[in-house]
This record gives sequence, structure tokens and C-alpha cells, in this order.
Amino acid sequence: MIGLILFIAVIGFSLRDRQLSAPEKFVNDSVAYVQQWLYKPAGYIAGFFEDIRNIRSLQEENEQLRTTAAAYARDKIKYNVIEKQNAQLEKDLKFTERQRKLNDYEYLIAQVVSVSSDPYNPTIKIDLGSENGIKENMAVVTVDGLIGIISKVSAFSSNVEPITSLDEKSPNSKSISVTVLGRENESFGIIATYDQENGRFEMSRIPENDPMIVGDTVITSGLGRVFPRGLVVGTVETTPQAGDFGLTKVASVKPLADFNRLTEVFVVKMSDYEGGTP
Amino acid sequence: MTIGRLGVVMFLLFVIESTLVPWFIPTSLAGRLYPHFTLVFVLYAAMYGTRHKALMLGLLFGLLQDVVFYGSLLGLHTFAMGLIGYVTGLLLEKRKVTMMTALFTIAVCCMLYEIIIFAVYRVFWFTRESLAYAVVDHMLLSTFLQLGFALAVYVPARRWVQSAIPVRQPEKEEE
Repeated sequence: MIGLILFIAVIGFSLRDRQLSAPEKFVNDSVAYVQQWLYKPAGYIAGFFEDIRNIRSLQEENEQLRTTAAAYARDKIKYNVIEKQNAQLEKDLKFTERQRKLNDYEYLIAQVVSVSSDPYNPTIKIDLGSENGIKENMAVVTVDGLIGIISKVSAFSSNVEPITSLDEKSPNSKSISVTVLGRENESFGIIATYDQENGRFEMSRIPENDPMIVGDTVITSGLGRVFPRGLVVGTVETTPQAGDFGLTKVASVKPLADFNRLTEVFVVKMSDYEGGTP
Repeated sequence: MTIGRLGVVMFLLFVIESTLVPWFIPTSLAGRLYPHFTLVFVLYAAMYGTRHKALMLGLLFGLLQDVVFYGSLLGLHTFAMGLIGYVTGLLLEKRKVTMMTALFTIAVCCMLYEIIIFAVYRVFWFTRESLAYAVVDHMLLSTFLQLGFALAVYVPARRWVQSAIPVRQPEKEEE
């Protein structure tokens, strides 16, 4: 009985948005140190067998990559010209220092050291911590797209909460403001819930006259000033339908990134990061 | 084998279940199989040792799981593992436990553990899954994984626990 009361007290205490205490940080860092010696080699071995299986499709992939590389080379020239022009315009319009640094992001490479074995708390541990400049609520991405948010930070390791555990109703819910690639100024939505049963995000608060269609790429809008702009989240799968009292619409979004067997992830560090909740 | 060594073995299991095991789970079953190997050892400690030692190990490794993978709740695994270890010890400590009884107990306790975890997350609205869905989705599969592991380590685990945690009645040693 006493145990039960104590347990409820501890849970209530830990529900708050709190920083880690020193003993917790110590345990976290020392366990992460042991874990990192096992996770990566296992990944290499598993990856090796996968490579053997994939060897046939390599040639096809190679051809595809060559055409995309050519397209990138073309775009690069265009980009250089536009970037220069943009810098000139910003100077002419007297942008403030803060405005200029708004889209200046730094990607920190982190290694995954372990994955939690709790179905409702699928925390991922990475080997960068506050010593490397990691702060809470930073976005974590892979090459495919957004995968998580930094939830707890120790000195040399930190915990990542995958966006697949987002839920509007949970006590410490977080939400991501999103838009559509190519129509950043016309589309808007908020992703706050992941449906475990069908593996889709629920995008809500879509305006009535939004031109969103099926197949559009959903990216973060950066409007909350917490997530940087332009991180890929997924693709729109259903046309927006009336929801929430009929004033706004909801649509389902299919995630693009693979949340299993992660090895390398990137933590996105904004240059003028000041913290806050998303 | 002392209790300290048993602790080291369990710590290694804890590390393995969060690092190596995810790589051996086929991609089609990802998100449906969750290893809880330390729980299996806590249960062996309860069945072949004493309930107090099982409670202690359960609390210790539950707390480790809670602190290391701290997302939003602290103390859930501590509570669940400690409770299950203690209750199993209370019921089976004084009895002669055969291999079949042991495996059956482990299956029931793993299921119970998953249900406690699910219930607490459900109460705090961290998930909106229904119990029926959760049982089919991952609880049954995970229980089979634990059962397989328990069967694989039955002989060494029983020997280690019996030498690490001496029980007062001598007639329990061999059956």
C-alpha cells in the first residue's frame, strides 16, 4: 500500500517538465557509455547481411542516383546565383541580425546508442549531450526526414522522443506546425497526434480553403521558432476532411522516415536558439 | 556465484536488450516485439531464491530502465517489476517449482507486466490504444519472446540464482 502511494507520488513528480538531477545524469551517461560499445557493431553486422541481399538492386539505384546528381548540379548553379541575390537584398532591406540568422542551422551528427524496450515510451538514446551544445526540444532528423525531439539531456548523452509517440491528449504533449512543400505560404496544419493503430500522423487545424492535395510533401513550417523550417515529415494521404467542430479540417499524413534500426541521426541546432516549448 | 555477480549478469542483459536485440528483430515485426530479459531473471530469483531478493532486484533494474530511458514517467517499471517479483516470491518461494511451472509462471507474469505498463500509460493518456488491440499487437508476441529466452537460460539461471541466493530449507535443492 505504501509502495503504491509512493509510486503515484513519484509519477506525479516526474510528470512535470523537469531537468535531470545529477545522479540521473551520472547513471544515464555511464550506461550510455557501455551501450555504445554494443549497439554500433550489431548494426554493422546486421547491415552487412542486408547489403548482401540488396546487391542486385545496386545497379538500378546507381543509375537513378546519377540522374539526380546531374539535376543537383544544375540546381546548384541556380542556387548560388539566388543566394547571392538574396544576401544582397537582405542587406538593402536592412534585415536585423536575428532575422538574418533565422534560417542558419547547424547539423550535429549523433550516434544512436540504444533503443528503449518499452512499447509506450520508445525513447532513443544518442551519444551527444549538453557538453556538445544539445538542448531540450531540438529537432532530430535522419536523411529521410524528421524523427524526434530531444526530451532529456545529460552531460554526454541525451534522450530522443520519437515523433511516433506524439499524442494531443498526453499530459506533456508537443505539436509541430507544418506546411506543404512548394506552397509554404498557402498551406498550414498542426501535427500533434500519431495513430499507433494505422501508423499515420493526424494533421489538424487545416484552414477551410487550403489547397492541399493527396501526395503533397509535408514539411515543418518553422513558425513555432522551435523547429527549423523545411524538415520533411511525410506525405499527405487523405484529402482534408471536416473535423473539430467543422471550422478546420483534418488529414492523415504518412511518415517518410524509418524509425527502426537507426544508427546515425542529426540534431538540428538553430543559431539563435533560445529554448521554449513548441 | 554471488548476488553481486548475478547483478552484473542482469546488467549485461539490460544492456543487450536495448542494443543487440533490436537488430535481431525482423523488420516486419519491429514495434511488436519488446524484450524484457531482466524481468525473466527477477522471476527466477523469486522462484528459486527469496521474495526479498526478487523485490530488491526488481526495484533496482526497474529503476535503471526508468532512469536510462526517461521520457515522461519515472518509477513505472520500478513499481511493476518490484511488485511482480515480490508477489511471485510470496506465492512460489516455499514450493517446489518444476520447469513447466516456472515457464508457465513466467508467461503469466510477463503478460501481467505488460498489462500493468499499458494500464498506467492508458490512465495518464499517453496512449489511446484499446487493451484488446495492445494484447494482439505486442503483448502476446513479447510474451513468447520472453518465454523463449526463459527456456534458453533455464539451466544456468537456476544454478546461478540458487548459488547466489541461499534458501533456508535444504530439501528444495534437488528434486
